[in-house]
Amino acid sequence: MSDTFVSLTDLTLSYGQTVAVPNLNLDIVEGELIALLGPSGCGKTTTMRAIAGLLTPASGRIMIDGTDVTRTPANKRGIGLVFQSYALFPHLSAFENVAFGLRLQKLSDAQVRAKTEAGMATVGLTGFETRKPAEMSGGQQQRLALARSLVMQPKVLLLDEPLSNLDARLRLEMRNELQRVQKDTGITMVFVTHDQSEALALADRIVLMKDGKIEQLGKPADLYAKPATAFAAEFMGFENIFRVDGTDLVSDTGRLSMGFAAQANMLAWRPSGVSVGAGPHKGRVLASSFAGGHREYVLESPIGQIKADAPIETPEVTLGQEVAFDLPRETARHLVA
Amino acid sequence: MSRLTIWVILGVTLTFLIGPFLIVIFAGMSAGEALAFPPQGLSLKWYAKVFTVESFRASFALSLFLAIFGTLAALAIGIPAAYALNRYDLPGAEMIRTIVAAPIIVPGIIVGLALLRYFVVPLDVTITMALFVTHAALVLPYAVRVVSSSLNNLRSDMEEAAVILGCTRFQAFTKVVLPNIRGGILAAFILGFVTSFNEVPASLFLSGPGVRTLPIDMLSYMEITFDPSVAALSALLAFMSVAIVFIAERLLGFSRYV
Amino acid sequence: MFLNRSEGLALALPAALFTFLVFLVPVGILLSVAFQAEPGVWSLRGYVDFFSQPLNRTVFLRTLKLGILVAGTSAVIGYLAAFCIVNLPATSRGSIFGLVVLPLMISPVARTYAWIVILGRTGIVNDTIVGLGLSNTPIRLLFTETAVFVGLLQLFLPLMIISLVSAMENIPKDVVPAARVLGASWFQVFFRVILPLTKEGLVIGGTLVFTGALTAYITPAILGGSKVLMLETLLYQKVNVSNDFVSASVIAMILIVMCFSANLVLKRIASVRS
Repeated sequence: MSDTFVSLTDLTLSYGQTVAVPNLNLDIVEGELIALLGPSGCGKTTTMRAIAGLLTPASGRIMIDGTDVTRTPANKRGIGLVFQSYALFPHLSAFENVAFGLRLQKLSDAQVRAKTEAGMATVGLTGFETRKPAEMSGGQQQRLALARSLVMQPKVLLLDEPLSNLDARLRLEMRNELQRVQKDTGITMVFVTHDQSEALALADRIVLMKDGKIEQLGKPADLYAKPATAFAAEFMGFENIFRVDGTDLVSDTGRLSMGFAAQANMLAWRPSGVSVGAGPHKGRVLASSFAGGHREYVLESPIGQIKADAPIETPEVTLGQEVAFDLPRETARHLVA
Repeated sequence: MSRLTIWVILGVTLTFLIGPFLIVIFAGMSAGEALAFPPQGLSLKWYAKVFTVESFRASFALSLFLAIFGTLAALAIGIPAAYALNRYDLPGAEMIRTIVAAPIIVPGIIVGLALLRYFVVPLDVTITMALFVTHAALVLPYAVRVVSSSLNNLRSDMEEAAVILGCTRFQAFTKVVLPNIRGGILAAFILGFVTSFNEVPASLFLSGPGVRTLPIDMLSYMEITFDPSVAALSALLAFMSVAIVFIAERLLGFSRYV
Repeated sequence: MFLNRSEGLALALPAALFTFLVFLVPVGILLSVAFQAEPGVWSLRGYVDFFSQPLNRTVFLRTLKLGILVAGTSAVIGYLAAFCIVNLPATSRGSIFGLVVLPLMISPVARTYAWIVILGRTGIVNDTIVGLGLSNTPIRLLFTETAVFVGLLQLFLPLMIISLVSAMENIPKDVVPAARVLGASWFQVFFRVILPLTKEGLVIGGTLVFTGALTAYITPAILGGSKVLMLETLLYQKVNVSNDFVSASVIAMILIVMCFSANLVLKRIASVRS
């Protein structure tokens, strides 16, 4: 592709004898915000470290901006990395933290000062110059770590779990911050996360990984509505996934007749896709919790537990009671195993 | 346990542990000629006399030299070793650790004797050199252990961050690691200094006429004369050690590293 | 990033090599002499000769006995002191602990010398005894096993206290009150709760104290002299007085084996207890 900025070709990454990522192929477009999403151990952090140069590939090739950087050491790749723990230098002030990389470049004192001040302003930390990282809040520390990488004007910015250490409100702020920075600077960003809602909110494209391989790659809307496999579906929030046999759903505990035939060998429903209160099936309520705009039920059924969300307007069903429900064809997602 | 019981137990224990020093301090202040407690009259003459004894001055200088430079030498090879053991996945790391820690396990007198017979004599090394090498070897395990403990508390992603920002590995070490283990290094230096200064068994065999460490000198002085000057000197040395450690604790919370 | 092993080895090697050449090789050679009563002939004759002399046997047993006594006594006192320290309010805890650690920083010569003042013929204890009329003449306190015992105890007690305090601090906060509420006497609390939970600290402290007492030189030299010989002072005598290197090496070997076995035995006791 013409505007491929980072490409990983046949990349195999291993720790000692264990192969963490076998034969990965991925092209990242210039200026995009791409997420590596997956559970722990799926290889997303390993891949990120390989792009950064902290891990030497066993085989394969990494290209950044047309240059083969596979053998280039980490301090010469022109990438930026915001660590999950921020990795700020505790013995330096905020200003010196941000200026650290610039000072290594033999710029004049005035140039360093100008760039550093500009960098801190970009993340809204003007006035914090003399503070030590330990004297700053979590959100401020992260913005500082971000500024430290951004002033280097990296070709690619890598972020390791950027939002996982933050509380809900900060998370929202930081999300907006990252999007704004990306729009303003146009830097290609790759971030690693295990949280699907983070990936959905931020990314232009999502790379869902499992066991070192790419399970599915696509735009957030596509991944959300049309996961291809059971793993992808489960990761993207489809809680009710069952095998299909003819017109029945089957599990280890029993069968449930659906009333329609499916092409795929698995079907999945989001909790919001299950209709509660009316339908051909009956289930006993095992659990019920109030979630603001809807109620979350766990229903007992012949094929196992069904997680269903009912809008707040539907009459509440109490624990132990039986309620009718349906797994409609319209909201079913067809999957391959 | 009642407060009273606690203070009684601690009182007795501390009296047992520290009482003797206080006695030495006062015995050294005796105005008389003989060693006794309570002292017959108070005078600082023995404390003053200590500074005039020629051999004490010489051995003090030697002990000081060994403590400072022996420890520095130990740190010079100990810090890289601690760093390597801590940050790298070395084959035989356990064996290296055991080798480096060995001098602590072997009784000092054996070390002194072994070095005298199989190092000093065959290689015709000067006594000072032998003492220097011995003290460095005895301090090295402490240096490695304390610096290791400091490094353990420092996350390695800081060095990675420095490298990504453009540092070479060496620059990352000097700009990021060293400033943050400064406290540990200082603690290691002080621990090494005190260990070396107070060392007796190994230095016993290696010391010779005219070339003695201070503790050895005191021991031989005690065999000849029994006046309070040894008490005074002991008290002075105790003050010195205590002062060093006290200042270190104030400066950097020394106890954290040991 | 730190997978470059040769780099790492280069950094660690000077220390390892230095210690190996300067320390391990000479000591190794010295210890081998213990097995070469006649030069070139490897045998255990050195040991046999050593133990065949009654004096040596006495010294060996005395050293072992004192080592165990000092370790045991320091454990008892240590637990009491450590328990007290741990139950102090945080403000005084640091200073009291500091006072306990303080003696370790002071030269053993100074620390032992104090006992001469206290236990000597004109020392405090004797002055008190004679003054109170308990005896007409000063009792000989110095150059006895008791004197060496007391000196060694004072020398190594802080080590035991430090180990036990550290172990006790790791006991979960409310475990002792919980045991008391369940009806345990202090005796039971100690043996059923505190001891099992601190046994590692006890092992570390015990090893440090035992091996320290075994290998101490200054204290037995000053307080025991040639009347109460311990293995280390005997070793010194063998070298400086009798020129008997084989015996000296045998003693060295015995000391090392004793320290090593003590460590193993104590560790074994600790894990069996659970």
